[in-house]
Amino acid sequence: MTIGLLRRAFLLGAGLAAALSGAATAGEYSLTVDPVTVDTGAFTRTGIGYNGATPGPVLRFQEGEDVTIKVTNNLSEPTSIHWHGLILPFEQDGVPGISYDGIAPGETFTYRFPITQSGTYWFHSHSGFQEPDGAYGAIVIEPKKREPFRYDREYVIQLTDAHPHSGDRIMRNLKMMPDYYNRQQRTLFDFLKDSKEMGLDAALSERGAWGDMRMMPTDIEDLQGFTPLINGKSSAQNWTGLFTPGERVRLRFINSSAMTYFDIRIPGLKMTVVQADGNNVLPVPVDEFRIAVAETYDVLIQPKEDKPYAIFAESMGRTSSVRGTLATAEGMKGDIPDLRKPPLLTMADMGMAHEGMDHGSMNMSGDTHTMPDGSTMKGMDHSTMNMSGGTHKMPDGSTMKGMDHSTMNMGSSDPFYAPGSGLMPAAANGGKFLSYNDLRTQKPLYPHREATREIELRLTGNMERYMWSINGIKYADAEPIRLQYGERVRFKFVNETMMTHPMHLHGMWSILDTGKGKWNPVKHVVSVAPGTTLFMETEVDAPGQWAFHCHLSYHADSGMFRKVIVEGGPEGKAAALPVKTEG
Amino acid sequence: MSSSNILGAVLGASLSFALLTSGPALAAGSHGGGHGMHDMKIGKPGDPAKVSRTIEITMYDNYYEPESLDIKEGETIRFVVRNAGEFVHEFNIATAAMHEAHRPEMMMMMEHGVLEPDRINLEAAKAMQASMGHGMHDEANSVLLEPGKSGEIVWTFPKHADLEFACNVPGHYETGMHGKVKLSH
Repeated sequence: MTIGLLRRAFLLGAGLAAALSGAATAGEYSLTVDPVTVDTGAFTRTGIGYNGATPGPVLRFQEGEDVTIKVTNNLSEPTSIHWHGLILPFEQDGVPGISYDGIAPGETFTYRFPITQSGTYWFHSHSGFQEPDGAYGAIVIEPKKREPFRYDREYVIQLTDAHPHSGDRIMRNLKMMPDYYNRQQRTLFDFLKDSKEMGLDAALSERGAWGDMRMMPTDIEDLQGFTPLINGKSSAQNWTGLFTPGERVRLRFINSSAMTYFDIRIPGLKMTVVQADGNNVLPVPVDEFRIAVAETYDVLIQPKEDKPYAIFAESMGRTSSVRGTLATAEGMKGDIPDLRKPPLLTMADMGMAHEGMDHGSMNMSGDTHTMPDGSTMKGMDHSTMNMSGGTHKMPDGSTMKGMDHSTMNMGSSDPFYAPGSGLMPAAANGGKFLSYNDLRTQKPLYPHREATREIELRLTGNMERYMWSINGIKYADAEPIRLQYGERVRFKFVNETMMTHPMHLHGMWSILDTGKGKWNPVKHVVSVAPGTTLFMETEVDAPGQWAFHCHLSYHADSGMFRKVIVEGGPEGKAAALPVKTEG
Repeated sequence: MSSSNILGAVLGASLSFALLTSGPALAAGSHGGGHGMHDMKIGKPGDPAKVSRTIEITMYDNYYEPESLDIKEGETIRFVVRNAGEFVHEFNIATAAMHEAHRPEMMMMMEHGVLEPDRINLEAAKAMQASMGHGMHDEANSVLLEPGKSGEIVWTFPKHADLEFACNVPGHYETGMHGKVKLSH
C-alpha cells in the first residue's frame, strides 16, 4: 500500500478516536468496504479495504462503551465484518449464515453492541476470501482500570501475508494441485542424501510413510509466494515507528495473515509479553515469540540507544520475512537479518513418534510435559535429576533409556510441539522463546472448576485433495456442535494432520489448558501443532449460534469449520435464537 | 504484632541465594552483582532510634505509589510498605545494576514454584533449599510481600548514589514497577 493510503488510514483511526472522546459511553463509527489497490512494492493488485485502505483504520473503543458501527458495502458482492475476539451478542458477530445474512452490495448495516473487555483485537470480513484480499483492521480497547504496566507510547503492528493472486484463484489452484504453492519440494537429490545418511531401507520406509500421509516434510506453509507486510508495508517500504531513547513502548502485534505464522524478534532488545489475545498475562520477558494466525500479543520494550531497531518477522516456514523499524528519526532502517534455514517436518510431526520417542529434544524446563497422547507428566523434579547417566528415572519409577544428552536443548524445547518436531521454536540469539507454557492469566475470568464434559475434535485432512475437516467430516456435511448454556466444556484437539491449525471459537473464551489451573491463559485462538493433542475449556455463557474453525483461510473454507449452537440460557437472550432448522 | 504481620515480616526478607551450585556463570552473576547488605554505596540498615520520618509505600499491580522518592543525603527513613495488589511484590532499594543482577534469582524462584503469582510457597522454598543446597538469607534493603500483607524497612541512605526502588518479581520491573530515589542536600 502507498504511504498516502497508510497515513490516511492512521488519520482516520485517530479521527474516530478523537470524535469519540467526551462521548465514551456511546460511540458512533462508520466504515466503508471498498475496492482498493494493494501495492507491496513487489506487486500491485486490486484488493479490498476499509475506508479506502488496507489495512483499515485502527478502531479505538473504551471498555464500558456502547458502540454503533455503520458498515457500508461499496463492493459488487456481499460482505460482512467479524469483530475478532470480542464478546458480544451473536447477531452482532458478523458471520454470514450463522449470525446474520451478511451485508448486500450497496447496503449499510448497523452493528450495535456493548464493549465489555479491553485489549488488542482486530476485525475482518468473514465472507469468501475477502480477508486474504485485504479486508482487515485493528481494534484497540482502553480498559476502565489502570493497566498493570506502564508505557510512554504504543504502536499497532499488524502482520499480513499479501499474495499476488486473489483468494479465489489460490483456492482453485490448491484444489487442482495442493502443492501448487510449495516451492520447497523434496527432490531426488534429497532422497539420495537421506539414503546415504539413514540407509536405503530407512529412507524408503520414511518416504512411504510420508506418501501415506499425502504429505511431505516441507509441508509447513502450503501457501508460499506471499509478501509479508507490517501495517501494509513490506521490508522495502519499511514501516517506521518513532521513539525517544529510554521510553517504554507498547507494541500490539496482530497476525491478520490468511495462512502465515510468524516468528518475531527485535534484535538487541528483550520483549516483555504482557497480553495474549487481549487478556493480560503475568509478564514474560522473551527474546522471540511465534504468533499463530489470528492471535494477538502485546509486548513492552525499552530501546535505550539512539539507533534504529528492526522489528523482524520471519515466516515459520522461513520462505519470507518482513522488517519494520523502530527509529529515533524518519528514514532510519533496522538491519534485516538473514532468513534462517527452512525447517523440515519430522516423523514426530506425523504423530509417528509416540513410541520410541526421541527424548533428546524433551522439554526439561517446564513443570508439566504434555505427551502426544494427551497425558501429562507432572512435577518433574529436575533438582534431583541425574543428568550424567544413560538412563533416566522418571517420577513414576519407569525409566527412559539412552537419552542423548548431547542433543538436549534445555532452553528451547516447547511441550506444545511433538517431541522431536521439526517446528520446535528456538530463539535466533539462543535466548528465551515464548511458549504457551509461559502464559499465565493475570486475572482469571472464571472460577476454576472441573469441566462438565469433554468433546473430542480430531483435526483431519486429505492433503492430496486439499480437503480439511474435523473428525473426518467437512463443514458442509457436518451436524452443528450443540452446547448447553452453563456447562463448562473441555475440548480435546487431536491434530492428525501435519499442519499447524489455529483454532478459533467465536463468542466465548478459550481457556487453554497448560496445567496451571486457575492461571491457565484465556485466549480466542489456540494453535495445535502437528502430532500433538491440546485441551481447552470453555465456559458456555453466550446463547446463540457461533462459528468454530481453523483460522487458516483456505482450511476453514475447505471444511475445517463447525457451527456451534448454545442451547438454553437467559430468557431474553435465548428468545432471540432463530427457530429454523440447521443445515 | 499479629500473626499475619509476623508472617509478613518473615516473608519480608528478600529470599535470595547465597550460593548457586548449578554453574559458575550463574554463581558469578548472582553474587558478583552484589547484594545490598555488604555494599555500602547504597546505604545501610538504619537505627530505628534515628528515623527522621516514615514514608508509606503502597504496591499495586504493577506499580508503586508514590512513583518516586525525595530523600536527604544520609537520612534514615522508616518505610511502611503495603501490598494492595493481587500479586506478590517486592520493595527493594538498590542500584539499577543490582536490581538487574537480582532478577535471574527471582526468576529461578518462580521456576521452582517458590514464587507463585499471588503467594510465596514456603514448602517449595524448603524443598528447593533441600534439593539444591541453596542457602537463603535475609536482606535489609528489601521486603517481599504477599497480597494484603505489610512490612517495614528502616534504611539509612548514603550521600551519593544512583538508587532505584524496584520490584524484581519476573516481568514487574520490565513493565514499569520501579522508581527513582532522588538524593538531595
